[in-house]
Amino acid sequence: MQKKLIKKVKGMDTEFQEYASKFESEINRGISTLSILSIINQYGEDGVYGYQISKDLLDQTNRMLIIEEGTIYPILRKLEEDRIIDSKREKEGRKRKFYYITEHGEKIYNYLSGFFSILTEAIAPLFDVSVHLKQNKYFYCPACANKIDLKNLEAKYCDVCGHYIENELDERGLIK
Amino acid sequence: MNENSMNYTVREYIKEVEKRLPEWLKDKKEHKEILADLEEHLWSKAAELSESGQPDENSVKLAIDHMGTPQNIAKEYKRRGEPKYYITKELWPYYTKALGAVFAVIVTLVVIGLIVSFFTGNGSFESLIGGLFTGIQIGLLLAFAIVTVIFVALSMEGYFPEDFKSKKEQQLMKELREKEIKEGVTPQPVKKPLKPFIKPGETIVGGGIALIFGIILLSQPFPTYMLRTDFIAILRIFGLLTMLEGTLDISRGILGNRRHNTHQALHAILIPLKLSVIPLIGILMNRPDIFPWFSEPWIHVGISVEFYGLYRGILAFVIVITCLTTIENIYNIIKIQKYK
Repeated sequence: MQKKLIKKVKGMDTEFQEYASKFESEINRGISTLSILSIINQYGEDGVYGYQISKDLLDQTNRMLIIEEGTIYPILRKLEEDRIIDSKREKEGRKRKFYYITEHGEKIYNYLSGFFSILTEAIAPLFDVSVHLKQNKYFYCPACANKIDLKNLEAKYCDVCGHYIENELDERGLIK
Repeated sequence: MNENSMNYTVREYIKEVEKRLPEWLKDKKEHKEILADLEEHLWSKAAELSESGQPDENSVKLAIDHMGTPQNIAKEYKRRGEPKYYITKELWPYYTKALGAVFAVIVTLVVIGLIVSFFTGNGSFESLIGGLFTGIQIGLLLAFAIVTVIFVALSMEGYFPEDFKSKKEQQLMKELREKEIKEGVTPQPVKKPLKPFIKPGETIVGGGIALIFGIILLSQPFPTYMLRTDFIAILRIFGLLTMLEGTLDISRGILGNRRHNTHQALHAILIPLKLSVIPLIGILMNRPDIFPWFSEPWIHVGISVEFYGLYRGILAFVIVITCLTTIENIYNIIKIQKYK
């Protein structure tokens, strides 16, 4: 699915290259789907078509997450089948298919994005790097890692696990 | 590379992708849209990669490289369902049901065989019990292997149970799902779902049994030294025909309630295949002397003259049944026409 970074290096030990390439695939698989979902989420109600998703993926990942562009469509189809996204085809012109995140998809995305962010922050010291969560922009549910945008903060409970979050928000001075 | 040549390169690439798409997807109208989206993407990419902003020879080639190989694209479509021991979680309940049904049939057949052998006085009690266990073991092993191979293949292709449903049923399910998303509730079907023209599970199981039976007749893993060589040859031909019939039935089961034309073609092939058994029965009718007769102490070759009438009557009945089953195939060809 992904164009592997390691495969670009010429004249390498084949065994090493094969092993590293397999590992790269494993790491990239879930990340690619989540990144695609993130792009679709960014476009909100305007929706976005396949080609634009592939362009944005390259641009927004410093050209590191290089997916074989044809494989974006099976991923989109699967997300649509799972009701995470919805699609509409342009009635005129190039009749491109625009993808939108569904309400259900948004909930899933917020949770997965929160989980991935917290996990990345947690494992960062293992690789001697630092990752800082944007705590001033988002609140991460302490019970389930769901990412809650502070701009839209209305509920007192996490909409994924139902955890009561008002006290924690208050402690952090996030309630105006 | 001129415009025609670029078009040709793109068309060939798209054709190659189409060829490799999984069967369940090729059957849906949606696959044409998928190919159109890929082509649109490819041309946009070629334009982006060209210095002039218009696709050219190099940019088309580069764009195809960026798209990925047709194999990889198809592989992603096949990556469907939650893996569970090489068979997806979605197909697992059908797999266990199919195994259960085939096992039950095999055990029943072997037990019936044992009872018949017991009452005809063939062999000692010990040898019959031994035969029972050997028969069950071989039968179960064969059935397990065949059913597992079929379901692993289906899982690898990314089949879901709903892919075996007719297009109308799939459409109805899609409408219901859309309604469910819109209204946030699970609605009840507005009309009764269409009755499927084939029960895939049963057909696959039936085909599997026929296949196993055919393999047994063809390979003849039983003592044949007492049988006449011409009778053994007839058994082998009959086994081969049964195997072919079983394979076609399995194919029909895998196709499920879709690909109406292929179903009709398979039924049409089944008719001459079934009818080709009639000459074999004809030979047996004319040659009662080669038919093994179960009597003391084991097998006596050749029917006694006083039973010729009964023997020929039974075989004539088998011919009538065979003809009736071919009428069923013709009926199915006509019936499937209505589903198109």
